[in-house]
Amino acid sequence: MRGWVLVLGSIAASVLLVGAYLAAGGSSYEPEKVQDPCQPRPWTDPQGLSEIANQFTTSALDGAACQLGVTREALARALATPEARERFSERYGIDDAKLARAIRAGLLRAVDDAEEAGALSPILAVPLRETLQRIPLEQAIEILNDAEGFLGDVDSFLGPAGDILEEFLP
Amino acid sequence: MLVSFNLVMALAAVPSALLARRIGPGRAAAVGLAVFAGAGLACGLAEELSTLIVARCVQALGGAAAVTAALELLPASVGSERRAATIWAGAGATGAALGPAIGGFFTELVSWQSIFLLQVPVALAAAVPILAVAKHEAATGIIEPELRRTGRPHLWANLALAMVSAAIAAALFLLVLLLIEGWRLSPIEAALVVSAMPLAAILGSKLNNLVADSRARAAAGAILVSGGLAGLAFLPKATIVLTLPPQILIGIGLSLVLSALTETALGGRAPQAIHGGWTISSRHAGVVIGLLALTPIFTAEIDQQRRDAIDAGTAVILDSSVNPLLKLDLAEKVSQRLEDEQGKVPTIGPAFEPLPEDPVERGEVEQLQGELQDQLDRGATHAFSTSFLLAALLGLIALAPIGLSRRVDL
Repeated sequence: MRGWVLVLGSIAASVLLVGAYLAAGGSSYEPEKVQDPCQPRPWTDPQGLSEIANQFTTSALDGAACQLGVTREALARALATPEARERFSERYGIDDAKLARAIRAGLLRAVDDAEEAGALSPILAVPLRETLQRIPLEQAIEILNDAEGFLGDVDSFLGPAGDILEEFLP
Repeated sequence: MLVSFNLVMALAAVPSALLARRIGPGRAAAVGLAVFAGAGLACGLAEELSTLIVARCVQALGGAAAVTAALELLPASVGSERRAATIWAGAGATGAALGPAIGGFFTELVSWQSIFLLQVPVALAAAVPILAVAKHEAATGIIEPELRRTGRPHLWANLALAMVSAAIAAALFLLVLLLIEGWRLSPIEAALVVSAMPLAAILGSKLNNLVADSRARAAAGAILVSGGLAGLAFLPKATIVLTLPPQILIGIGLSLVLSALTETALGGRAPQAIHGGWTISSRHAGVVIGLLALTPIFTAEIDQQRRDAIDAGTAVILDSSVNPLLKLDLAEKVSQRLEDEQGKVPTIGPAFEPLPEDPVERGEVEQLQGELQDQLDRGATHAFSTSFLLAALLGLIALAPIGLSRRVDL
């Protein structure tokens, strides 16, 4: 066999392999990039309390993470247990007061987002904002953990009064 | 440990060849094999890492003496220096490809110590036929005078050998690491997978016989090694079968390029042992450079990719439709599991246990588990991409000295 045939064959085989792998998505096979928490995350049309709660939690985490300058994902992991929170505080130098302020801000953003998406009645949104501005850290974390329970409680608390008030709104 | 062995080999190869010229190749090979066997025993019995490293260095000294002296001894058995050079070069290429596969099998089937203990009888068995030559040398004390002359080493062929060896070391070392640490294969499974490379190297050795022009073979081999490495850098999925085409290219390529460059470096040069020593030195220096240059890049990358994969995995959990009550707990469990594994990419299943009893919720969690594992696999695979690409580049750069080397037709 001629030498140049071998060289050309090698080039062809290499180009073919690399081309095929690139065409199959080889250059983008990496972990998906996480979204900037300060950018708004569109709400999908929510069906039922569970879906609203899901998106409410996401919005709240985004809002808090944006204020703290961390990713939503890092914050979510930090809020799961007291030990994780401690590690998070040490790593980013964030004390409980700062964390509480950020989570409250996040919860308020979630209320705004939910209201804007039509998932939360303005009748509920007003008292919710009032409540969320004052809650302590542990309770704020609890709301993030169980947004469904929290939103359900608020809804049942206002109950029929909410329906009546809503009728008088424009 | 890998670096220390290769470094000693690189430094000791030429002095060992000089020793073989001084005391005779039979005696040098016999002593070398005995040292190799003794140090192998020490490696197998070593209880501390420092002992193992020292023993490995001593083993490299013995190995360097045996390998370079073997090149002096071969012509008497195979008929000519040229044929000896071809066989010696081919054996070196096959050995390089076979190493990880054999190592993986023994590590899992017996233990890592068994790899070294097995070398003891093999080295001693190889020494037996050489003893007669050694005795003859000791009795006569005659070293042929014309073989005392030493020409200059072939600069371009040796430089290309170093570059290509760096690329090949990356291929072997990083691929095994990707399979075991990244894709969670057992050593024996990884050994089975990388067996594709030596099998392809056998195919490459057939091509060696079909093409006379050594420069063309070296160029084709370097291109194939680079192409295979680039293929590994652009794997489109964490699937074993996709590593096979790049491995086939690398296997054929390494057989072609190592044999051709070694033959070029030895071609028409005397004494063979000294020039063989230079090729051994270049190859092992290349391995050292490859490992030292690429390991920090790979280590930094895997750390970054691990963080990205944890974030991407957490995002998958947060954006999923599973019960919000489960989300944060799950995110923390996954994160904790990743932290615990320190550098490895774990099987994520245990973080999801116990699975919810409700069939709908269970299905959602299982889907989530699959998506999360996919993110981790992406991270693990991508962590190796830069190193594989740099190694491919090294293989391509070797084309420059290959082009400058003199053509040798065998």
